[in-house]
Amino acid sequence: MTRLDPPDLFAPYDEAGQPRVPIEGYPNTIRRNPSRPPFARPYTLTARTGPLDLAPKLRPGDDNLAVPAPGRIAIGQLIHISGRVVDEDGRGVPGAVVELWQANAAGRYAHPADTRDAPLDPDFLGNGRTRTDADGRYAFFTIKPGAYPVPDSGRWWRPPHVHVSILGPSTLSRLVTQMYFPGDPLNAHDRLLNSLPDAAARLRLVAAQTPPAEVEGDWLGFGWDVVLRGRHATPPAP
Amino acid sequence: MIRPNAPLPPTGWHTIGPFFPRSFFREGDNDLTRISAEAPPTTRGEHVLLRGRVLEQGGGPCVNAVLEAWQADASGRFRHPLDPGWRDADPAFLGWGRAWTDAQGAYAFRTVLPGGYSDAAGPRAPHVDLAVIGSGIMRRLVTTLFFPGFATANAADPVLRAVPEALRHLLVAAPDGEADGLPAFRLDLLLRGDADAETPFFED
Repeated sequence: MTRLDPPDLFAPYDEAGQPRVPIEGYPNTIRRNPSRPPFARPYTLTARTGPLDLAPKLRPGDDNLAVPAPGRIAIGQLIHISGRVVDEDGRGVPGAVVELWQANAAGRYAHPADTRDAPLDPDFLGNGRTRTDADGRYAFFTIKPGAYPVPDSGRWWRPPHVHVSILGPSTLSRLVTQMYFPGDPLNAHDRLLNSLPDAAARLRLVAAQTPPAEVEGDWLGFGWDVVLRGRHATPPAP
Repeated sequence: MIRPNAPLPPTGWHTIGPFFPRSFFREGDNDLTRISAEAPPTTRGEHVLLRGRVLEQGGGPCVNAVLEAWQADASGRFRHPLDPGWRDADPAFLGWGRAWTDAQGAYAFRTVLPGGYSDAAGPRAPHVDLAVIGSGIMRRLVTTLFFPGFATANAADPVLRAVPEALRHLLVAAPDGEADGLPAFRLDLLLRGDADAETPFFED
């Protein structure tokens, strides 16, 4: 049973694949980040373990953001985002909670803190939660989010992106990140994406468009796999 | 599956940004004593309230930050197979909770006083791991809350000892009276500030 065999080996992150702060035009990357480097700590059981069954607490089920109710449908390009959540050994992570939130097609979030003058869509709230299956697979039906300018940032536009939060089998495998869309000209200029020093690490945040022939229905498909930290000290049986 | 020769690189982190959905929070998410909002709280251990404020540079409130807490049960066990004693862990205790800071930067968790345990790295004092995510925080900030009244255990704790002695008091919560009939403890987190006041954070 995979669920009883979670990763037990955690190496420090490769810093080249992780973001650097501060980020120009984003003052919270200064105000809210420590001035002191973090202290090295032994990874004791508290860090290496984590909640294995969060579904009763964080209820999954809202994996269709585009159709809030029968007969109602959000404005925008209908898309299907799917992929696998795996560990560093490439093994699927079953039962992980995956949370997704995003702007609407006009680049506006249905959130009180987004006060930009762009239309809200009454049929799009833009958030959902699901759970990976036994093979680590997840999927969401949604719409392609719009780009939007970041206020007071000096003409910085966020490219279309979706926010993703994943709670895996260990607190050390916790991940919050953003998925980008392939081929968008704004990607190359995005200050968040560019805060990852390693070009390959940036590319891994960009989804791949699924050949339309491989997607059923009227959804444009995007595939995006996620690697959570953690390996197995004992290699799994082949 | 054949194990790759080199591990796959973990996906890079990003901030949650300013628009983390409020509808992701449900009543009871910050209650570690229940495995779901509908479940009864565990009957084991001493129930306590943890509270404090998350502050940013200059001492102002860090509004709309998200805190995630994780800890052992009252006997010092985790319901996770890496803990050799996991089958004896409290089945009614989740040990995980999520809180959202308000306009004052305030957070609160309801939990049980965790038990200490013995780890290969040394004897762990009762503690709660806390992670902060929020707009502008590109990678979660991880720290650990310790409890007053365990001076000897705290002094031997291998994680607290990873922090210079002069700063360790910044990770020990203070007794904070009673709330909802429970003993309360307070720990403020200053994300950025003077060297003698900034909360010590650990490598993730």
